[in-house]
Amino acid sequence: MQMNLVKWSRIRSPWVFHFNAGGCNGCDIEILASLMPRYDIERFGMILRGSPRHADVMLVTGTVTRQIIPRLKRIYEQIPDPKFTLAIGNCACSGGVFQQCYNVHEGADKAIPVDVYIPGCPPRPQAIIDGAVKLLQKISKS
Amino acid sequence: MFTVDGERVVDVKIRLGYVHRGGEKAFEARTYTQGLYLVERICGICAMAHQLCYVNNVEALMGVEIPRRADYIRTIIAELERIHSHLLWVGVAGHEIGWDTLFMYAWRDREVVLDLMELITGNRVLHASNTIGGVRRDLTSEMISRIRKGMKLLDERTNYYKAMVPKERTLMKRAVGVGILKPKDAVALCAVGPTLRASGIKRDVRRDDPYSAYDETPFDVITYDGCDVASRVLVRVDEILESIKILDYALEHLPSGPVAVRLPRGVPAGENVSVVEAPRGEDIHYLKSNGTDKPERYKVRAPTLANWPAVGAMIKGGFVADIPIVIAAIDPCMSCTDRMTFTDIRAAKSWQWSRDELRRYSLKWRGK
Amino acid sequence: MSENKKEQEIVEALKTKLGQSLLAARIQRPRRIFATVSPSALLDSVKFLMESHGLRHLATITAVDLGKDIAVYYHLIGGEITMNLRADTPKTEPKLPTIVPMIPGAELYEREVYEMFGVIFEGHPDLTHLILPDGWPENVYPMRKEWKTDAIKNEIAKALGEKLE
Repeated sequence: MQMNLVKWSRIRSPWVFHFNAGGCNGCDIEILASLMPRYDIERFGMILRGSPRHADVMLVTGTVTRQIIPRLKRIYEQIPDPKFTLAIGNCACSGGVFQQCYNVHEGADKAIPVDVYIPGCPPRPQAIIDGAVKLLQKISKS
Repeated sequence: MFTVDGERVVDVKIRLGYVHRGGEKAFEARTYTQGLYLVERICGICAMAHQLCYVNNVEALMGVEIPRRADYIRTIIAELERIHSHLLWVGVAGHEIGWDTLFMYAWRDREVVLDLMELITGNRVLHASNTIGGVRRDLTSEMISRIRKGMKLLDERTNYYKAMVPKERTLMKRAVGVGILKPKDAVALCAVGPTLRASGIKRDVRRDDPYSAYDETPFDVITYDGCDVASRVLVRVDEILESIKILDYALEHLPSGPVAVRLPRGVPAGENVSVVEAPRGEDIHYLKSNGTDKPERYKVRAPTLANWPAVGAMIKGGFVADIPIVIAAIDPCMSCTDRMTFTDIRAAKSWQWSRDELRRYSLKWRGK
Repeated sequence: MSENKKEQEIVEALKTKLGQSLLAARIQRPRRIFATVSPSALLDSVKFLMESHGLRHLATITAVDLGKDIAVYYHLIGGEITMNLRADTPKTEPKLPTIVPMIPGAELYEREVYEMFGVIFEGHPDLTHLILPDGWPENVYPMRKEWKTDAIKNEIAKALGEKLE
């Protein structure tokens, strides 16, 4: 009973932490646009938090530069279990146009486990919300 | 990296780098066509400006003259980008001082521009509207009429912000007299864009070194003399209004004709420097060609980098709590300043704050 | 129609001022001048262009690996003119005097050229990395032609004691 309540509240209202791992901000502004009243990802209960310690879900954008890897890993560790990661945008999925650049690790999954990949350059708010809903479905199945 | 004495900032040292991807080397391994897409992604917010600077560079080296209609369409898209960027910034600035309603309003208005971008170019953000030799798509009369409608609405909304901002005591308290950059420092530190113009210096690449259709579209270069954060807000709000004027003129006088030219084979060996006025300020690119299909060297200096030394001058001697709004006022690429190091010489301790932690401290300290 | 009149004035004035130290000069197109000076004349050139022709705004400093030498371009803007002032320095011992005392805004640009190409700007107040991450290996100058992407990645991994994935 306890487990189901927790699961239910996690599905209903995942708290989200956004981390830019070296992106051009294209994805970041579409994530913020998803939070705005027009697209309103909050109706799915997704709320942006300022701290990883209060989050269930991490959104990663950007190519994952060399310098940011230790921080990305540290932040990931600070998120309490169970936690989930969304890689948003082509760069976070696989390096995007910055593949084969010397300071780039191609994709967030080179540093941390990723649950859902949302490709696009940048993905539209609808695509971001679609990916978020798929994550919620994944959580509810697990 | 800040050295502080209690609440006061004593020294500032600039250390960047979380977003260093090694892009410049990548240009050398990409054809000129591939470079069109790489150059946009230097910054997703000023993408059109970077791409415009790039195509201007390559076209100048090739000696290509593009059709006048393409120049006008580039101007139209560039000004739409300026409006979206400034509205984005107005919202983010609101968020920095704890005024989230302004954030919501500004970003709602910004959606008007993004819809127009999608209509004209096919994408909301990162449009790839330019091609070497012109633009990819033409403007139809339906697009033109939609742009006009959008501009009318934005003109109204922006005038509302303009009237509202000086009356908002919360904002003015945090912005007037904060982050002072004296004109002679602005010049010596080579600041650019609205940051420079808010210290009274009348420089704008569109007027000084015109490109695209700016030699024909009348507009005013906006300056304010306050040299503070408040002036930087006012410059950008007025610039939105000027952009709307430029757009109206450009739509009214849009020449007929093709939107791109066929290119001669290849880029000849040589070098060129191209400069544009991106929303955040002067953007300069250097190109060296060795006659092959890939550039020998492509250098980009985006506007934000030019303003970091000025930020140092603005913050030194000021309050720690003012750091977030002063940094926000130069309209930096968002990811650049995610982590800040503080050293308190009085308390003899060092710590790190994320941008969010600093913002919360700042809101508390300023008694929000 | 005065074609490139202002540009010609500047070039002539530089010729007069520098004599043999002006190695090359051309008006590449309207509002664009490229001039090459010997490194020993760099400071005088910058000072002259700033004070006599209002070219006070340093937009950026660009370095180009020419093979044996590194070309360093100072992009000085005043009014409508962009003057691209170049000085070459040998790769075996690349150094130039700093212009920070004259143009404080040069500070970050010189740091960037230093870390990417290895050019030492003598007298610079704080010649440290600007953009390259902490722990970046010594003597790896990423923008030099001889440093290929894979080689750079190997060096980074070695320096940080990591496996390359």
